[in-house]
Amino acid sequence: MRVPMSLDRPEAAAPGLSSISGRSFLTTALRFSPQLRQGLLVTGLLALLAGGGRIVAPLTIQQAIDSGLAPHTVAPAVTVGAIAVLVAGASSLLLNRRLQEKVESALAGLRRDGLRRVHDMAASTADRVPSADLVSRLTSDVDQVTTFLQGGGIQFVTNAAQLLIAGVIMSVFSWQLAVPVLLLSALLISTMMLMQRVIARRYAQARRDLSRLQSVVAESVAGAPVIRSTGTAARTARKLDDAVDQARDSLLRTLVPLHGNTALGEVTIGVMTVTVLLGGVWFSLAGDPAQPRLSSGEVVAMIFLVTFFVRPLQFLVQSLGEAQNALTGWRRSLELVATPSEAVTDGSALPPGPLGVRVTQVSARYGSGPLVLHALSVEIEPGEHVAVVGRTGSGKSTFAKLLTRRVVPSAGTICVGGVALDRIASLAGRVVIVPQDPFLFDGTIADNINLGTPHTAVSQGNAAGASPSGSSRDGVERIVDELGLSDWLAGLPDGLDTQVGLRGERLSVGERQLVALARTALADPDLVIFDEATSGVDPATDVAVQKALAVLTRGRTTIAIAHRMITAETADRVLVFDGGRIVQSGHHSALAARPGRYAALIDAWRNQ
Amino acid sequence: MSTPPESRGRSTLPDTRRGSALLAQLAGARANPGPAAVATVTGLINGATMVAGASAIGWSTDHLVVPALAGDAVPASIWWTSAGLVLGISAARWSTIFVRGLSTGRVQYRAQAETRRAVIRRYLSLDPAWHRRHSPGRLLAHAISDVDALWSPMQFAYFAVGMVFMLLLALTELFFRAPVLGLVGLVLVLLVLALNITYQRLLAPRARDTQAARGVVGGVALESIEGGPVVRSLGLTDAEDARFAPGVQRLRAADLRMASISSIFDPLLELLPTAAVLVVLAVAAPRVQQGSLSVGDLVGVVYLLITVAIPLNVISRFLSMLPMSGAGRERVQAVLDSDEVLRHGSRHLEQPSPLRVDLRSTGVTRRHRQILRDADLTLEPGTVTVVVGAVGSGKTTLLDVAGGQIHPTTGTVAFDGVDVRELTAGVVPDAVAVVSQSPFLFAESLRDNLALDRSLPDADLWEALRAAAADDIVRELPDGLDTVVGERGATLSGGQRQRICLARALVRKPRLLVLDDATSALDSRVEQQVLASLADLVADGGPTVLISTNRPGAVAIADRVVLVRAGRIVATGTPSSLLDVEEYRRIVTAYRPADRDEEAAGDARTHVS
Repeated sequence: MRVPMSLDRPEAAAPGLSSISGRSFLTTALRFSPQLRQGLLVTGLLALLAGGGRIVAPLTIQQAIDSGLAPHTVAPAVTVGAIAVLVAGASSLLLNRRLQEKVESALAGLRRDGLRRVHDMAASTADRVPSADLVSRLTSDVDQVTTFLQGGGIQFVTNAAQLLIAGVIMSVFSWQLAVPVLLLSALLISTMMLMQRVIARRYAQARRDLSRLQSVVAESVAGAPVIRSTGTAARTARKLDDAVDQARDSLLRTLVPLHGNTALGEVTIGVMTVTVLLGGVWFSLAGDPAQPRLSSGEVVAMIFLVTFFVRPLQFLVQSLGEAQNALTGWRRSLELVATPSEAVTDGSALPPGPLGVRVTQVSARYGSGPLVLHALSVEIEPGEHVAVVGRTGSGKSTFAKLLTRRVVPSAGTICVGGVALDRIASLAGRVVIVPQDPFLFDGTIADNINLGTPHTAVSQGNAAGASPSGSSRDGVERIVDELGLSDWLAGLPDGLDTQVGLRGERLSVGERQLVALARTALADPDLVIFDEATSGVDPATDVAVQKALAVLTRGRTTIAIAHRMITAETADRVLVFDGGRIVQSGHHSALAARPGRYAALIDAWRNQ
Repeated sequence: MSTPPESRGRSTLPDTRRGSALLAQLAGARANPGPAAVATVTGLINGATMVAGASAIGWSTDHLVVPALAGDAVPASIWWTSAGLVLGISAARWSTIFVRGLSTGRVQYRAQAETRRAVIRRYLSLDPAWHRRHSPGRLLAHAISDVDALWSPMQFAYFAVGMVFMLLLALTELFFRAPVLGLVGLVLVLLVLALNITYQRLLAPRARDTQAARGVVGGVALESIEGGPVVRSLGLTDAEDARFAPGVQRLRAADLRMASISSIFDPLLELLPTAAVLVVLAVAAPRVQQGSLSVGDLVGVVYLLITVAIPLNVISRFLSMLPMSGAGRERVQAVLDSDEVLRHGSRHLEQPSPLRVDLRSTGVTRRHRQILRDADLTLEPGTVTVVVGAVGSGKTTLLDVAGGQIHPTTGTVAFDGVDVRELTAGVVPDAVAVVSQSPFLFAESLRDNLALDRSLPDADLWEALRAAAADDIVRELPDGLDTVVGERGATLSGGQRQRICLARALVRKPRLLVLDDATSALDSRVEQQVLASLADLVADGGPTVLISTNRPGAVAIADRVVLVRAGRIVATGTPSSLLDVEEYRRIVTAYRPADRDEEAAGDARTHVS
């Protein structure tokens, strides 16, 4: 009664990740988990011993019957059998431990390498793959392998060994009897494989219908307020009913092939038993009846062996789906690990001090979409404060993404601190972006700010765990003081030790920006890119953000994606983006005085 | 809520109220009596065929194999009988396997579907307070995985019933052949059952550990990946690896702890029947020699012992699923038993004109916390009222209670003089349209999203879209009104969603329109446009309007402004009269650079330059 999961899961790798074909799977798996290669021979031997132990019973029976069941011959046969059972048990135990230890250590390695790779692969790739997909490659996909291993994977190995041994013994007893058994098995395998494909298809449909049901339920739960306020519960109930019925019906459709397949195995066992029973007796007597070709013990043993041969066969065919599932999971995590790292190992270091930026004839696009930046050229001096303004879709956020290597230019060059951007060994800590809605790790405010401390986090290794040690706590407090955040923190129930919640959701957007600014200040970068929040910042926090920002930007090159006039007013220079080009550049007062895009923008701001 | 239309293949809802997983499975059977009866009968027959099959092999050994190979003449009828017995019993076995499988599946999947339907329908009728206490993730788990768990033992139920029957038959048969054989059989059965139960006992806590460790690994992985930009930007890859490693190690250790149990028990369970065969051989051989047992008897017994592993495995799998099923049942039943359903009265509203809303000493308490107290407010028909206040001041609660979306804990809310609690079902949704802070769209076409359960001419939809400044959005979409938006409207931007939601509210031609910070994602130009068309609508005899906002734009069209602080209405008046209130002034002028707090701005400027 095994439930095959899938033989037809979509095979394509996520965009940007390495794709691994079925053929290169094994070599890739061994490349990333070399421990799997060691001691294969011993593993194979253990499997044979374990599988062989299961066949002790028919062999002992044969010995006992043929010796006329005389106690003095039965005793040695039983003793030999008992030893064989003990050996088989021990082998099975060792095989079990050995395989699981090897595979689990390989999987643990895959998980850690995978997470590292997520963080050092090209940012543009990481952005393209949905987070949920990446997470599943480190979690549920890997768990599939363990689940398979524990729920039948080891048996898969011992069953294969048992099948092999039973087949060999049958052929030794009488190849003439083994031939019809093997032929019937071949017929059984091919029919079962065909059926298995049908089962897999129907299960795939059932899974799709179940996930549709899941989305409909999720939607009706999330949309409950809308459903209630519009009085449309009946409409949603109809939709849900359909999804429930469909999921049930598609599950019901799996029953016939699933149980048909199991029944088929029993049909085969029945036919084979009769073949061996009658055929065995007939064949033994077909030559010289006085000297039968087979003893009665051998015929009886053959009858038993049929069962010992067909049951593992059934098991193997029916577990194929699960095996496939486990392999797919393994392959998906390998795809992540095999994706090349973006780390520039032989790159140049950035010069110390504030960094200038030189952008020459740069164009950019997303995927194969239209150009969103057209041959852009601009030079930003070290220490200059630049505000970038423009309407939604003008290309200003793409510009910011270019500078942090989140988008790769399709043409042109970008130099930061005089070094070509793609030749810089690491931007970490030197070029830092503060996004519109910064991400905070679950933990305290202090933990999150402390992440900015250059490299202390490595030894300490936690963002969410214990509080930072004494010295780093001092650093956090100093930076909070410098940025003028003490008043804001004093207003929080636990000050620096306030828990921010998952993704920092217990803080408002503005407050998250404050934490991100402090974190950035501690990192002491030389180029800061700041994406201003558009709405939802309450006035009190907004004032604090402006003050902290003013402190942070001193002595550094800054580029602010501005959504409000105050930011543009206070910048050294304003770059006005429109349609993927810089259409105006200059100080606020100069640009505001003459008609143009900037003046129009100021009008819109004033009317807010 | 209407009653469900009876459609194809619906069965009865199993009554799972009585408190155990086993009783729940029985209830599932009672709800589907036909398939349950077939599954029971075929299960029993199947169990019997396993014992009969072993006997047939034994009979054939005694009457065919041994005499024929000893050189005795065996009549043709014996050959035919042997073949007939083995094939006949095999036919009975495989046909019952097939039929039992089909009927079991019917019982399981039908019971599952009906329970699921009941849970989901209950969600639709439970009131907002209940929904607020339960996260969407949990509700989804109740409807999907808990229902699955509840009915999962069913897949082995009839198999297990048949196997219990088989064991009884087999032991009887063994005792009948020779008491000592029966004893060996009984010991084997007891031993295997005891091992299985110990195995499950040992495995269960380790499985929970593994599940917990998986949770930790998943949590850290998700957070680290979502925080990827921070990790890159600050160079935290090593730190993240160090944070991830303990969880990974813990999971590996937990997986191996499970493996260390299974590596002992699996071989034991696998080889015990073989060991029993050896014991039987040792004790039975002398009896065969004495002639008190035939060779066939011995072969039959061995055959039986070898096959006994299957039923024991099935029974233990069935038993091991019961705890999970019980936990699932409790969670499912908690939903089905909750009685916090929406309550309604029986009164109707008369006129089609704009609604008058009166709040009298209205208060809302949630988890012992008063989030709105003593609110007195009248929304005159056809006026625009704007509520302002800091984040967390109680604006949303005021809007919810005034719009009849929630009922007050104290005081009253009246629509056209009728207490909202006395209104019959459907009256509030017909009269009031709400656009909330987070715009929600169904993963359907825009047409369906706008019309919902009504059938409206396209002209009406376009008119509403125009008023919500959303007509351009729809016109630019490849399929126009037939465009299917992604899950929760994900293919549209926040601002676009807000406007579509506004259009959805307008198309219902409400008598009261409630906008809870519903223009926050619009840029100021579009916001002005939307507010202007709203003002036109009201001037043309349109709805009474209640708006909450943090932004000053909406104040321009307000007849009245209400300032809320810490759950209380602290000031009401015309927009200009309220300018004397400092808090109000600060809120509505925060984003206007010209009126900005000069000191703060000056500060910022000196620092930047």
